[in-house]
Amino acid sequence: MKLQVKFSLYNAITKITIIVVLGAIILFSINRLAYNQLDSRILKKKSKIIESLNNKEIDSLLNNEESFTDYNILKEEFIILTDIPDNQPDSTLSINTERREIEGDIEFYRILNYKFKYHTNWYNLEIGETMTALESIKNSIRFYMLVVLVVALFFTLIADFTFSTFLLRPFYQIIDKKLNKVDDPSHFDYENIPTNTDDFRLLDNSINLLMRKINTLFALEKQFIANVSHELLTPISILSTRFENMLNTPEIPADHENKIYASLKTLNRLKLIINSLLLISKVENNQYLKTEEINLNQELSDIYEDLEDRILDKNIHYETRLDGDFHFKGNQALIHTLLVNIVNNAIKYNVENGSIEVNGQYSHNDYVLTISDSGTGMSKALVDNAFDRFKRGNTEENGFGLGLAIVQSIARFHEIEISIKSELNEGTHVSLSFKSR
Amino acid sequence: MNVLIVEDEKSLALEMDEFLSKEGFIVEHAWKKSSAEEKIFVNNYDFILLDLGLPDGDGFDVLKQLKRLENRDDAVIILTARSAVDDRIKGLDEGADDYLPKPFSLNELLARMHAIIRRKHKLDKNEISIHNFLLNIQNRTVSFADERLNLTKKEFEIFNYLVLNKNRVVSRMSLTEHVWGDILEVNSDSNFVDVHVKNLRKKLAQASSIDWFETVRSIGYRINC
Repeated sequence: MKLQVKFSLYNAITKITIIVVLGAIILFSINRLAYNQLDSRILKKKSKIIESLNNKEIDSLLNNEESFTDYNILKEEFIILTDIPDNQPDSTLSINTERREIEGDIEFYRILNYKFKYHTNWYNLEIGETMTALESIKNSIRFYMLVVLVVALFFTLIADFTFSTFLLRPFYQIIDKKLNKVDDPSHFDYENIPTNTDDFRLLDNSINLLMRKINTLFALEKQFIANVSHELLTPISILSTRFENMLNTPEIPADHENKIYASLKTLNRLKLIINSLLLISKVENNQYLKTEEINLNQELSDIYEDLEDRILDKNIHYETRLDGDFHFKGNQALIHTLLVNIVNNAIKYNVENGSIEVNGQYSHNDYVLTISDSGTGMSKALVDNAFDRFKRGNTEENGFGLGLAIVQSIARFHEIEISIKSELNEGTHVSLSFKSR
Repeated sequence: MNVLIVEDEKSLALEMDEFLSKEGFIVEHAWKKSSAEEKIFVNNYDFILLDLGLPDGDGFDVLKQLKRLENRDDAVIILTARSAVDDRIKGLDEGADDYLPKPFSLNELLARMHAIIRRKHKLDKNEISIHNFLLNIQNRTVSFADERLNLTKKEFEIFNYLVLNKNRVVSRMSLTEHVWGDILEVNSDSNFVDVHVKNLRKKLAQASSIDWFETVRSIGYRINC
């Protein structure tokens, strides 16, 4: 869940809680307040009635009947005075809420019951006040609170969301620009993303700092590779020139000559291994440019020319079928190396009178080049680690098993997807999928 | 012709010296950037073989200094083991005539030097004559008694390379590397060059006797003259 959403939800929940708690308190207090008000009013009325009471009045009120009842037109209040038996223990006063039916209408009333002794007679005085008004006030307060709650919630959710979007924008910019879009540390843009949030500034600066460290390490590694290559290749140069000079000395015995030549060959092998490893590490360190326009057809025909004698030597049927004229941006020398390695493998591991087919076609957004041979093929285990360094298909052949490792690093560098399908004694299919645009 | 070898690795410089002296070049040495710059300032050279990683600085500085001097036509070949990708482009941009990565074959160095000599001195005819065979470097053709031989591109390359290195053994390895370039792994077997040499000799032999075209045991070939 996004931080923004979490923030908004958290805000919403806390607001709901606050409003609910506050609402409950308010409703409760209103209730208490209203009862108090009502009670004090009833008590005042009672005092007034008692004060103005005298014999005559009671008589006229009761009019010789058992009780006296009076209420106003809207039945908001009533008074009942009843003559009760004289043997009451004490004068009592109580207030409670009851349902009363007055002329067919049932309503809630707050009722005061007061038993008192006047001269020698005991009377019960009941004063009732309707609670309908109070209930309706309570209801409308409840209703408005609910409305306010929902509306407030809605608006605060929107406001929170908008604000956090605004607040978090620099964060996503940092993630996008400084982390997602960085494919090569050397192209990193150190400019800070404008923000006045200190935390994001901290993040931004920390990423910059990290990138500086990484860049320093990368530079060191490149420097190291350059140094190693220099340190290894220089002694090889000394030895190979020395051996060459020895070979051109006229009077050396034949078997020495052969040994010298064998040493030269060994040195050459050493040179090729070092150069292959250097090539892989340079490709992996992005030390090549990918700015040349490469024509795949042209490359393949150049490669055919380079390897023609090998193809003819094994009498291999070689066929190229390319749909369209596929161009892409890359490093021409590297692509040449990549394709030469694949085609050369197809020749090297082929049989006499075998065949090689090179097919190219558009598939969705890609251009797929397939190089199929009718060669010896590879076992599943071999296919699985075909790209590992120093793994070799056939130990009798020349080579050091670096060819496919080179192929893979160049392919990765150019974002070319590469897959190998192979069947023992049936042949091998290598397909390269180039992103077209 | 005089050559200045700017190389801090003494044993390598001395091997190159031995080889080039036999070819008739007059060789001088500079072990450091400072001494190289002094020598270049004082003398004119036909060739400067320049190493890039010098103990007291960068070989490119020597090249820049040379280019600042007026009326100089010294050919510069950069010889380096440095692996930076753009060194080659940079070297050629700065005005070097060629670039040869270490380790290189001395035969290759000599062939490149000959190519530069022909280019620089604009030899009246772009032709080399060997035992009455005439190699036209520009058109990449070979003729005998005004009759053109039908050589393939690779056969011509091989012949040309052997002629430029005449009187010395050219190993199959060096020949393979010259003709096919430094294709990784591909040139590790040298049988293919034999096929081309066999065809080349057949074509040459049809025109004239070629007892000067020698196979040197298991090592390679030599053209004597």
